[in-house]
Amino acid sequence: MTTAVAPPPAPGTAVDDAGGHLARLLRATLVSVFDNGSAGAGTPWSNTLVVTNNHVVGGSAPQLVLPDGAVAASEVVFRDEAADLVLLRTSVALPRPLRTRLDPLHAGELVFAIGHPWGERGVLTAGIALAPGGPVQADGRFSPVRADLRLAPGNSGGPLTDAAGQLVGINSMIIGGAGVAIPAAVVAEFVARATAGTPEAGYDR
Amino acid sequence: MADTTILSELSDQLAAAVEHAALSTVLVSARRRIPASGIAWDATTVLTADHVIEQDEGIVVVGPDGASHDATVAGRDPGSDLAILRVSGAALTPAERAPDDSYHVGSLALAVGRPSEEGPMASFGIVSAINGPWRTRRGHRLANYLRSDTTFYPGFSGGPLVDALGRVIGMNSSRLGRGAGLTIPLAAAAPVIADLMSRGRVRRAYLGVSSQVVPLPSALAAHLGGQQSGLLVVMVEPGSPAEAGGLLVGDILARAGDIPLTDTESLQLQLTADRVGVPFTLSILRGGAPRDIAITPADRE
Repeated sequence: MTTAVAPPPAPGTAVDDAGGHLARLLRATLVSVFDNGSAGAGTPWSNTLVVTNNHVVGGSAPQLVLPDGAVAASEVVFRDEAADLVLLRTSVALPRPLRTRLDPLHAGELVFAIGHPWGERGVLTAGIALAPGGPVQADGRFSPVRADLRLAPGNSGGPLTDAAGQLVGINSMIIGGAGVAIPAAVVAEFVARATAGTPEAGYDR
Repeated sequence: MADTTILSELSDQLAAAVEHAALSTVLVSARRRIPASGIAWDATTVLTADHVIEQDEGIVVVGPDGASHDATVAGRDPGSDLAILRVSGAALTPAERAPDDSYHVGSLALAVGRPSEEGPMASFGIVSAINGPWRTRRGHRLANYLRSDTTFYPGFSGGPLVDALGRVIGMNSSRLGRGAGLTIPLAAAAPVIADLMSRGRVRRAYLGVSSQVVPLPSALAAHLGGQQSGLLVVMVEPGSPAEAGGLLVGDILARAGDIPLTDTESLQLQLTADRVGVPFTLSILRGGAPRDIAITPADRE
């Protein structure tokens, strides 16, 4: 008796399935950050640390909402206004962080953002990389990742990933219709600075 | 178990398509503000958008290798927003062309630009519509044009719209299409490019009449095998081919050769660039009586 082999799915269907899988993967790591009426997204960096945009957090003790709906308190560990990054610490077990990709994107690569655009939680948008972004230079400045990607204010602080779900940036603003993100390499350097000399330093990512 | 491998494969293919297109996408600096893009047509020729050229001198083209070259305008046509630059000292890689029948509404497309020396940029979408023929606001007739939902970021005009293999479908213009932006497919651009390369400008055949559609009374329609309408001449330009041919205000244009002239578009469609200097017969009704007029379109300077 032979078993019929199902033909492979049409490419569009396979892309749809993979997109759904990526959406589930990314939603499982996405954290919301609420601070005095301002809301944004947050990206887990370790089992206790969350990275988000500095402009999302005006106070010192923002609330986090985890993927399962649980609410957790957090405190500000470190701010970098120029880079628009802030590091938060919480005592609640955070979802497992995304793997970080430090090598730069290529123009044309697919990128995905997860966040709360238009006030809706856990929304996935997709596009392609416009410009790869680069690490911090001697003068402290860096080129951001720019993407042909629709972002809205609720995306701030949330992750930008590649097609494999690896973190390539933290979404931070919209310029001329293009999405702008802080490169993962810059975020890694920021966290290293923020945690130097503390128990969280050197967390293996 | 589902994974994201196919997304990574698609991503890699899109990045490769951009890389391939970038080999023949150049930076065109011909205005004070942000540079624009261009498509390498051959080793020393660049196709770009007419509207990005705002100066006659000091035009610079930067190739994918980062080398700068002086360039001059070989020909330009505001009507179709196309221009050809001759680039000195360059050995550009000519763009690979997508076959005309290889793309359709729904096909994936990338708009590629090189508005800065940081490298190529691209936006992503699909071919949204393929329409035509269409007369641009400045009087040029495009055989067809294409809309996509890619975003033309600043400096993308003059650059290519490419398919998923990085082959050029057409040239992007943010200026045409009432500011919404559109792409001129290479097949539609080809006659303009040929004219620009050989004579520096596009010939436009004209007769020098203004006309309006009028219904034909049945007695007159009977003369013309039942044709229901014709074009009433309301103005004859002095010094024009129409005047030279003896057309008068009040004449009704019925046929150009064998083609019935039932609306103004049908007359315009006969006046293609290749008709300049080629005589044809206009069948008209004058005072109700049919007659034939020999007329030769001239080049509208």
